[in-house]
Amino acid sequence: MDGIHDLGGKQGYGPIEVGDDDRPFHSEWEGREWGIAQCARAPGITIDWWRHCRELIMPLDYLERPYFDSWAQTDFATYIEAGWMTLAEAAAGKAPAAPDSTDPPQPMSLQQVLQEDRAHAIRFDGEVETAAAFSVGQRVITAQHGHAGHSRLPQYARGRNATIHAYNGAHVFPDLSAQGTEIHQHCYNVVFVAADLWPEAAGSKDQVYLDLWESYLSGA
Amino acid sequence: MPDFDAKKVAEIHQHLHSHLPSESALRVKALETLLVDKGLVNPQTINAWVEAYSEEIGPKRGARVVAKAWSDPAFRQRLLDDAPAAIDELGYLGKATAHLKVVENTDAVHNLVVCTLCSCYPFSILGIAPAWYKAAAYRARAVRDPRGVLAEFGVDIAADVEVRVWDSTAELRYLVIPQRPAGTDDMSEAELAGLVTRNSMIGTDRELGRE
Repeated sequence: MDGIHDLGGKQGYGPIEVGDDDRPFHSEWEGREWGIAQCARAPGITIDWWRHCRELIMPLDYLERPYFDSWAQTDFATYIEAGWMTLAEAAAGKAPAAPDSTDPPQPMSLQQVLQEDRAHAIRFDGEVETAAAFSVGQRVITAQHGHAGHSRLPQYARGRNATIHAYNGAHVFPDLSAQGTEIHQHCYNVVFVAADLWPEAAGSKDQVYLDLWESYLSGA
Repeated sequence: MPDFDAKKVAEIHQHLHSHLPSESALRVKALETLLVDKGLVNPQTINAWVEAYSEEIGPKRGARVVAKAWSDPAFRQRLLDDAPAAIDELGYLGKATAHLKVVENTDAVHNLVVCTLCSCYPFSILGIAPAWYKAAAYRARAVRDPRGVLAEFGVDIAADVEVRVWDSTAELRYLVIPQRPAGTDDMSEAELAGLVTRNSMIGTDRELGRE
């Protein structure tokens, strides 16, 4: 999707506020949202669908609202779309008296949560029957266009020449995972010469590396 | 179950724009209240997640990985070959690090990590990302003007040093191994870990020194 989220190379955002301290959360609500996102994922959801729902936030909200606020709004949207709650409940900030679930979750201790974090080391690679189309060192060109759904080929890297730097294995293809279908596809680390991406980088040796799926690429 | 209906979600966002409270704290409070009322979430579990990422999981883990890589050549090699397995030796494998890669700075190379499409980050070794990492300015500029970005962090990169930007938009995550500062041969692994800044593991810091 050619959305507001696809920020790489966009200009006009000004200087970076570099002076952040090491505190993980700067307000209590940020920590609450972090915790909610870790323990309340709607059943059947995929990470790519959640990301796509975040991309679908209205552009002015996407740019203006704080980071964890956009997570909260994405959670609301995914829960409502999946039937976990209604728009009216979200607007009211409260649910009907009787809990929907007859078996509310037991509290988890710090140790249990640390174990759970280990369980969140989710692997996205798997087997595919077809051989990888490209080999390390091969020249490739990236797709010229995206599509209306979720995709992980940034706009700045479309229709560009690049070189296969490494083979990552076959990973869950995000474009389909965002529609609920988990299919593995060969995934490569691809290197772009900065000068092939940006006019002002002419003559530079600097490089940009992206991990891209095979269907985003064709032989150069 | 989700219908994966993007049009419907766009409509939901428009409604939420008009009907949710404006203040972030109130929005999140409403979300938590609803989930707890519906019996979908236990608030004590949320407390435990906040505690885990405030006290246990954070950049101190990454710093220990870097210090061990500096001190132990065999560990460094294992980290380069299979970073998830290597950090698992320290008990640090976890959220978003199952496909971790490490990239080493050298005299000739400087590495910088960004996610231009959201804000992907190796949570289980670096904790919660700093605010600037999640900000539009960093996401927009890191791939296009890395040297300008680094200068704003006080890092000047010599013209003959190559800058490699890792835009981590897939499920791979990157940890920068900064260069070990000179004059630290006498330091223990724990002392070395104290020299490693969070920013140096993302690439917005380069020259580490003895405190």
